[in-house]
Amino acid sequence: MNMIETKQLTKTYGNFTAVSNLSLHVPKGHIYGFLGPNGAGKSTTMKMFLGLTSPTSGYFTIDGRTFPANRISILKNTGSLIEAPAFYGNLTGEENLEIIRRILGLPKSELAEALELVGLTQHKKRQVKKYSLGMKQRLGLAAALIGRPPLLLLDEPTNGLDPVGIHEIRSLIRSLPQKYNCTVLVSSHLLSEIELLADDIGILNHGHLLFEGTISSLKDYARHAGYPADNLEETFLAMIQTDNSSRNRGDRR
Amino acid sequence: MILSLEFKKIRRTGYIPAFLAGGLLTSAVPAVHMAARSQSFTGLSGTPFHILMDANWGMMAQLTILLIVCGCSLMYNTEYADRGALKMDTLPIRQVCLFFGKFTVNLICIILVLAMQTISVTLCGICWFPERAPAIAETLKGMGFELILLLPTMMLMLAAASACRNMWISLGAGVILTFTGSMIPPKQFALTQLPFAAPYQTLHTISESNIFPCLMICLAEFLVFGAFEIIYLYIRRKLS
Repeated sequence: MNMIETKQLTKTYGNFTAVSNLSLHVPKGHIYGFLGPNGAGKSTTMKMFLGLTSPTSGYFTIDGRTFPANRISILKNTGSLIEAPAFYGNLTGEENLEIIRRILGLPKSELAEALELVGLTQHKKRQVKKYSLGMKQRLGLAAALIGRPPLLLLDEPTNGLDPVGIHEIRSLIRSLPQKYNCTVLVSSHLLSEIELLADDIGILNHGHLLFEGTISSLKDYARHAGYPADNLEETFLAMIQTDNSSRNRGDRR
Repeated sequence: MILSLEFKKIRRTGYIPAFLAGGLLTSAVPAVHMAARSQSFTGLSGTPFHILMDANWGMMAQLTILLIVCGCSLMYNTEYADRGALKMDTLPIRQVCLFFGKFTVNLICIILVLAMQTISVTLCGICWFPERAPAIAETLKGMGFELILLLPTMMLMLAAASACRNMWISLGAGVILTFTGSMIPPKQFALTQLPFAAPYQTLHTISESNIFPCLMICLAEFLVFGAFEIIYLYIRRKLS
């Protein structure tokens, strides 16, 4: 059973195609790593899932619900952290989460739990504009996690964190499917990060899905396609380079 | 819930202190004016409310409109500055509800300002026109009329602020419109019904036959700008 399914999902801005005929399958209860270089279309895809941008063509379903007909119901069950954390800088961390808690209609205890989960309890009374980049990222995560939504969309969640913070957040994300029975779609441009986190991966380049499957199936695929298969980082780079070269050749023609 | 959320969002932005200070400032206008030039007015015929409004309302209305311009710009600046608006877009809440929540906050604050102005005008009447009885009903009717005339300006300004991610654009446009509105000659009935110009009118200076059309035009403008905002938010979402 898939939590997210897309069918020929496409997004164009004028002449530029950000996402092209994307058909994704994110299994329920899994961590799905969405991998691709900067500008590959990862954030655009996630924005479409949240209704922040509308698809030019194609469609997607989230837990069987379609967009935009079920927009409110989808958003009620989706926690997200897109690009950089978004908040009200004039409010404290606690007040920011309180706004979200009230919109979602959650009990008060959820707020303390979300702060505790990301290690921000002792800084909850501080104004967010005085937070460090790492603390803002943690607050963004807390805002996504509050209420334990069945689906989490995390766009490069470890951005701005120090190595200890990266490790903590990675362990937290890793534990979410078991702890809260949720599905996580996490994007990154670092294969090493996705490799440690994800059950399944999707590799995106210039809006095209180059590969979708488990890490072990990626290794098999790499061997068959003649890519280096020992080091996944090299596999990823080789796939991207091959795709870029074929694209350039196509452009020249 | 929306209303309490919107009040929470404007914490530490200076919005409430700005409205309180603005209310006190506009309320001080008739008192200071009377203290400085009371002999020019105490000999005039008419009710104290009419005399005080004729002498001071132009300045009071202009300050009130500037307060609306600043309030609306500040509200949406809070949304856009640290991308709070983006977070709201990812939550199960409609942008239209947030907009009308903000409008209600503005309305409550403007009612507070008008209440302060009403008290000030009434006290000035009692202080400088002791022999003439204060006409409370007339004062309330006059200030209620001003509130209705301010509604289209508030709605248009908030809609403009919602469209401008850069606060200075909406603030600048609002200030220009405020001064443009003050320059419209009062005899041009059609022009004086426009937002930013309508609030300079007073109930007792409009001919009786024009009162009803004036109120209807303001209410129509208010509804049109509200509908425009709903359509704008819908199109913005579709085109994003």
